[in-house]
Amino acid sequence: MRTGLLLLFLSVFTTLSYGQQRTKTTGFILSGKVKDASTKTLLNEATISIIGTSTGTHSDSTGVYQLAVPAGAHKFRFEFVGYVSVDTLLNISSNTKLNISLKPSDDFLKEVNINATLSHKIIETQSLTVLQGTELERTRGLSLGESLKSITGVTTFQTGPSIAKPIIHGLYSNRILILNNGVRLEAQQWGSEHAPEIDPFIANKIEVIKGAAGIRYGSDAIAGVILAEPKALPTTPGTLNGEVNAVGMTNSRLGAFSAMLEGSLGKKLEGLSYRIQGSYKRAGNTSTPNYILGNTGLSENDFSAALQYYHKNYGIETYYSDFNTKLGILSGTEVGSIADLQARIQQTVPITPSDFTYTIDRPYQTVNHATAKVRGFYNFDNGSKLQVQYAYQTNKRSEYDLLSFSPSLAPALYLKINTSTADINFDQKPIGGLTGSIGISGMNQGNVRMYEYLIPNFVDYDGGAYIIERYRYKKLLFEAGIRYDYRWLKAYRFNDTIAKIEATTTHYQSSSSTLGATYNITNDLTLSGNFGSAFRAPTVNELYSNGVHQTLISYEVGDPNLKTERASNFSLNLNYQSHRVAIDLQGYYNNINNFIFLQPTGQYIRVQSGSLLEFNYTQANVFFRGIDLGVIVKPIDSLEINSKTSLIYAYNKTIHDYLIYTPPMRLQNGLTYHFGSWGALKNIAVGAENVFVAKQTKVPANQDYAPPPGAYSLYNAHFGFRLIINHTFADIDISGNNLTNVAYKDYLDRFRYFADEPGRNIIFRLRVPFSILQNNK
Amino acid sequence: MLKLKHAMYALLATALFYASCSSKSEQAVAPTIANEQLTSAYLKLTNEANPSDTTSCRYRFHLDNNGNVTSTDSTALLLKANSKYDVKVVMLDTTQSPTFVVSDEIKQRQNYHLFFLQPTPISSANLVISTNSPYIPGTPTSASGPYLNLAVARTDQDSNTPPLQIGLTDLFTTGAASTGNLRVVLRHQPNAKNGTYAPGSTDLDVNFKVTIQ
Repeated sequence: MRTGLLLLFLSVFTTLSYGQQRTKTTGFILSGKVKDASTKTLLNEATISIIGTSTGTHSDSTGVYQLAVPAGAHKFRFEFVGYVSVDTLLNISSNTKLNISLKPSDDFLKEVNINATLSHKIIETQSLTVLQGTELERTRGLSLGESLKSITGVTTFQTGPSIAKPIIHGLYSNRILILNNGVRLEAQQWGSEHAPEIDPFIANKIEVIKGAAGIRYGSDAIAGVILAEPKALPTTPGTLNGEVNAVGMTNSRLGAFSAMLEGSLGKKLEGLSYRIQGSYKRAGNTSTPNYILGNTGLSENDFSAALQYYHKNYGIETYYSDFNTKLGILSGTEVGSIADLQARIQQTVPITPSDFTYTIDRPYQTVNHATAKVRGFYNFDNGSKLQVQYAYQTNKRSEYDLLSFSPSLAPALYLKINTSTADINFDQKPIGGLTGSIGISGMNQGNVRMYEYLIPNFVDYDGGAYIIERYRYKKLLFEAGIRYDYRWLKAYRFNDTIAKIEATTTHYQSSSSTLGATYNITNDLTLSGNFGSAFRAPTVNELYSNGVHQTLISYEVGDPNLKTERASNFSLNLNYQSHRVAIDLQGYYNNINNFIFLQPTGQYIRVQSGSLLEFNYTQANVFFRGIDLGVIVKPIDSLEINSKTSLIYAYNKTIHDYLIYTPPMRLQNGLTYHFGSWGALKNIAVGAENVFVAKQTKVPANQDYAPPPGAYSLYNAHFGFRLIINHTFADIDISGNNLTNVAYKDYLDRFRYFADEPGRNIIFRLRVPFSILQNNK
Repeated sequence: MLKLKHAMYALLATALFYASCSSKSEQAVAPTIANEQLTSAYLKLTNEANPSDTTSCRYRFHLDNNGNVTSTDSTALLLKANSKYDVKVVMLDTTQSPTFVVSDEIKQRQNYHLFFLQPTPISSANLVISTNSPYIPGTPTSASGPYLNLAVARTDQDSNTPPLQIGLTDLFTTGAASTGNLRVVLRHQPNAKNGTYAPGSTDLDVNFKVTIQ
């Protein structure tokens, strides 16, 4: 049964190294096909790995794999979930072809998907959670934030059902860095109602680094990093594959459709491969158990294209993506004053009932985000690797307010931000047990606003340099890294008393560092400790905002003298993986000095519609500490019992009070039973889950308009299978969320003052990968 | 050595990249334009018994160049005891040129708006919650103490079915001499207007000092 565990472990582990394996080492190419020994079905996403190394790859939807292998004798393992894995010793001295047939295993381990926390390439001693496979497929149709809720320590900050921002260890917005296909997402992330501009259909793997991790990607990542990674482009010459995804939901009558075509050219164009992908999503008003939420529809159209050329030791890839969304804001949430809001909180249901419609009226947001990227790499003969990347992003956000008497068609707020980023990374050749990377990065941003004055126009220049080295000695791995960042920010502030533009220039500079160690106590048990230090420079809204934040009913005043935030994050990770039990325990303590937050001043500001509470951006020393625990028990091979616990405690040391919007305790307990196969149906699995979210009782005094809502408990279930017809297959999944139709409110939804969360939702998902051309040389 | 050389190339590339992307559009700052702005509200009154006897009061918001309210001022309303006045509500946005008459736009969107003209404090004896007597829930009442002896009735109707009142024109009936405040609230109630205060949100909420003598 040892192989079972190994299989599980390796399948995740090799996936982690997937993105970089192609070019990791120079040598020869091992390629071939993986198929079912009896049916000859070509196996998609079979894992091919060199035992004892992190080198590995997956077969594509035509069963084809390709792996760059250094010369010499290596032991290879071919494995596919539900099949007996095959180990073979090969002496590689030239490009080699090897076709492999796998037999279905008797003790069918079925689909195993664990949010395994494993070391990864960037910071090996820091915990990384990967969402992929069926677990990711089961989030199709949801927004990026919603997709990540199954990960311990991760939840969302919502503004009604259409807008969700991820929270990691109690922090969100600018304190989380999001990378879209390797490009640092730069938009108007500071807004709590500004959702990440990413189409989750692009990603076939989402990685979450929990904890301060600014070392590799730059400042701001004091809470964590989210990496949305597309599948690597096919490299087998003369192939053309595709995939279609369709999602339908009963609540909100959401329909989402995504299609992708990818191929690799042969003959003289060998090495050239491409992908085009598009998504379309449309949803109408969401229903709570007792009423319909007016104007909560959304629409989204996304497009992406990639083209790459790989040669033996160098390659270049280009990528373009375009994200367009229109998000309705729940009607009845616009309030003119504190008195309005308090009156609204008193009402338990909306006064005016809404009907179902797909039409989106004011208030709504439209957002367009376009990203273009070029990346090149060169592999040196000695094993070193150089990577250069340049990306340009444009983010346009328009917010349309509800108008009372104006005939205007214009938005209330328009913000456009252009960002250029350049990164150069050099991975040194291994010297003994020492490996590492060194790099520099630069960024330039320009922001242009129109209509309402919320934040000023600004230009900023950022530069950074880093080095991360790690040393492996027997069962121990040591890691250390340091980074230096510099930011130059010029804001074109409008001085409202003298009606003139004042350019204010500020500089920020600081260093980030990481120090950690991993010790493999036994083969099953690993202990990791990491200290990460990261910083975040204040954003323009924190420095210079001065005015009414419409959806927050608050009058916000920035402070131009704010200093940078400094996070010191300690985490300890214990990971145990055996055949029957997998345990992942993470404890963390994140101390943040000069934490920037909005504090009510106790003053009221008089506006036309009444009075508003005034909030100042201020700084204090705070800490977040918590525990994330994930346990998987398999009493028998076909049954998987899953338990996840996220606990967090946050405290403001300066004013001796709790921090607002800290996620309450969250428990997810579920089980999945794998039935195996039945006729043409494979991987039949059925599961159920309970999500319990406690009431947040540790809230600061006098900082909220209403007390936190009570605890809630939701029941979800899912049923899925793979339908195999000829050489193609379709994955079908039916899920039911909030099956008991519980009416509840969530503390971390800003619209909890106005409305309940969504009621029962049945979701149908279909995924069909297909192959058009195979080895058409 | 190799590393150093590449680092140099990298630095050079970064410098070039910075040089290549200088944009000036950030410096030309667009003016602040709010979709909706309200700078003043007037009540214009005419004595029914004597059309040449007119009076008015005005509430003004002083804005900075970003549209934020910096201060307010208002004039008091002087009324004769035991009289009837025809009242017209006028609201302006003087930041626009020519001045934008907000109350005209309200008239055009009459089915979505409702005015409340609430004397405060009010006698608990006079407390009649009906459409004839605009009443803002939560208004402090006084059982025995002094109150403003003023009755307010809206005199216009919208085109909802059945028609609902608007309050752009009103009838004030004064009683015995007294002093107090008149709170004027404009509620914006899109697709929700039902004659009561609760639906929608507030566009305007101001207080006038009133003396009946």
